[in-house]
Amino acid sequence: MTIELTQAQLASAASSEVIIEIVKMNKWYGSFHVLKDIDLTVHQGERIVVCGPSGSGKSTLIRCINALEEHQEGDIIVDGIKLGKNLKNLDHIRTEVGMVFQNFNLFPHMSILENLTLGPIWTRKMSKADAVETAMTYLERVKIPEQADKYPGQLSGGQQQRVAIARSLCMNPKIMLFDEPTSALDPEMIKEVLDVMVELADTGMTMIVVTHEMGFARTIADQVIFMDEGDIVEQSGPTEFFDNPQHERTKLFLSQIL
Amino acid sequence: MAIITATKTPDRAAPLGERSVIGWIHKNLFSSWFNAILTLLTGYLVFITVTGVFNWGFTDATFVAENRRACYDNSLTGACWAGVIDWLDNIFYGRYPRDQIWRINVGAVLLVLWMAPLWMGRVKGKVLVGTGVVVFYPFLAGYLFSGGDKGLFMQVMVSGAIVALIANTANMLTGVLWGEFLPDFVLRVLGKSTAPDKTQRNILLALLFVVFTAVFVWQLSWTVEFVSWTKWGGLFLTMVISGIGIASSLPGGILLALGRRSKLTVVRVLCVAFIEVFRSVPLITVLFMATTMFPLFMPEGFVLNKLVQVIIAVILFNACYMAETVRAGLQAIPKGQYEAAHTIGLGYWRTTGLIIMPQALKHMIPNIVGSFIGLLKDTTLVSIIGLFDILGMLRSISKDMPWLGLHKEPLIFGAFLFFVLCFSMSKYSRHLEVKLSAGDQH
Repeated sequence: MTIELTQAQLASAASSEVIIEIVKMNKWYGSFHVLKDIDLTVHQGERIVVCGPSGSGKSTLIRCINALEEHQEGDIIVDGIKLGKNLKNLDHIRTEVGMVFQNFNLFPHMSILENLTLGPIWTRKMSKADAVETAMTYLERVKIPEQADKYPGQLSGGQQQRVAIARSLCMNPKIMLFDEPTSALDPEMIKEVLDVMVELADTGMTMIVVTHEMGFARTIADQVIFMDEGDIVEQSGPTEFFDNPQHERTKLFLSQIL
Repeated sequence: MAIITATKTPDRAAPLGERSVIGWIHKNLFSSWFNAILTLLTGYLVFITVTGVFNWGFTDATFVAENRRACYDNSLTGACWAGVIDWLDNIFYGRYPRDQIWRINVGAVLLVLWMAPLWMGRVKGKVLVGTGVVVFYPFLAGYLFSGGDKGLFMQVMVSGAIVALIANTANMLTGVLWGEFLPDFVLRVLGKSTAPDKTQRNILLALLFVVFTAVFVWQLSWTVEFVSWTKWGGLFLTMVISGIGIASSLPGGILLALGRRSKLTVVRVLCVAFIEVFRSVPLITVLFMATTMFPLFMPEGFVLNKLVQVIIAVILFNACYMAETVRAGLQAIPKGQYEAAHTIGLGYWRTTGLIIMPQALKHMIPNIVGSFIGLLKDTTLVSIIGLFDILGMLRSISKDMPWLGLHKEPLIFGAFLFFVLCFSMSKYSRHLEVKLSAGDQH
């Protein structure tokens, strides 16, 4: 199973074009230097796991990719578009890049179905019937079609996070970003979310995942990135990364977390 | 040592004190000697107050009399409601010509008819209904209340309002009878449900145009008599001022609150200045400014009537308070909601309108309705600058020859009216809160 997956991943990673390119990117919060000279290239269909201690800038990095945070220096090119202050580009990028948050961030005043159809109807200009159909397809994929008419507050954390994943997928994005998707969940629920993410990975979606779930990283990642204090300290394939880490800092981190 | 419970412990009924009336009384009213005495004492105080008020207001009261002297002849210790009853028309309608009062009643009935669909579950297009009321009703009611010759603008707007009312009522019927939105119903009856969007739209527009033309021609055939605003008064005037105030201060407040949180410095500074100036001045000052100072700044010969000035003052003043209420609601919305909205590609206005504002307003319903209640009560201040609103009318009773010196009863009646209005508003807000928070416990 693992071996087959890895081969499929290698094939997809090798064959496809660059979809995200980050060159010498720097970001400051006030005078605090969060991200330092980040260089990163992501190919279409590639799955990248970002890990590191808290405060290392990993969340900030992926939030820069869909322009939730502004970077101050360097370039971020997503799907051929250079991120900057141009508003029109921003809207385009955001419809192409889906994001799943640690705290789900579902809209509590709308039913699950409304949460899912909102984006397609308002930004993809889909008809309501089509949007509902798409939404139900994705709800089935995350295995909770029966919850469509409930409100987020009535669902468990794991279910909410799966809805959040479905909500992003309804926009038919080219890239999916995950910002610690399982950190706010009970252990029992982590698995159901990870299963959905593994299935998503099998479909060839480009994914960047910030997570501490190392087992998950080993299963799906093409590349694992370790960040510390705003630097990308180490970047390598999962086998290499876990079995033979190079940097002292990585070794220390892995010894604490595994 | 391990403890293992082999069988499941069955549920048992709660102790008696938790579930019976006597248990409740014992626990809450007579739990100790001291509390028992307190309960009895309080009961006695309530009893003598209530019987006193009841005797004064009902048993000993005079309901039919020629004048205050006749009241005293009937009973010295009871209330003289006869004066209030004699003045009821004035209290409700002010000095509006007596043969034209039907216009006010029609206006009120139309408003109820117009807004009724909002409370009907099966009726579709509630947002359109609400917008229709706010946009069109003021013109129809405005003409109905003041009358005179319609200018071209008023002719168009009155026709528009009547068309909107017709559509609204038809939509209510199709909604209640078939659970269908009016345009869908029309298209179905015409057999065009499956026609392309463009054809459907053209059919609806054509139909709208026909109805509008018919209404426009029809309304040319009638006018209602002119009634000067100086004759408006009583509860009617209070409702006009507070109604317009309520309907405009909320949208105004929302805009000001958004302006205050805007990233555009000029907009933000202007909004902050505006809000802070109006909030740091008492309403009565704003009213005096509006009626005495404001005309001084206007070009010569420019005359706004006093009522319009007062209404503008009330709107501006309350919009500023509303802005702060709305802002508080906005601040309670987590940043994640904005981010989630952005990640599905919603821009500023859609994020605000679809995601943020509905939640913020829902959180703030108690405060918003609180402001509305305050606004309703504050409108009585206009009696100080010489408008005969309900308070002005109630106070004039004591200056009317037959009822000279009759202060207490009219004011109590006024208090009762306000209590009914305000209490129903607050009850309704509570109901809304419960209804809107259903399925949303988090």
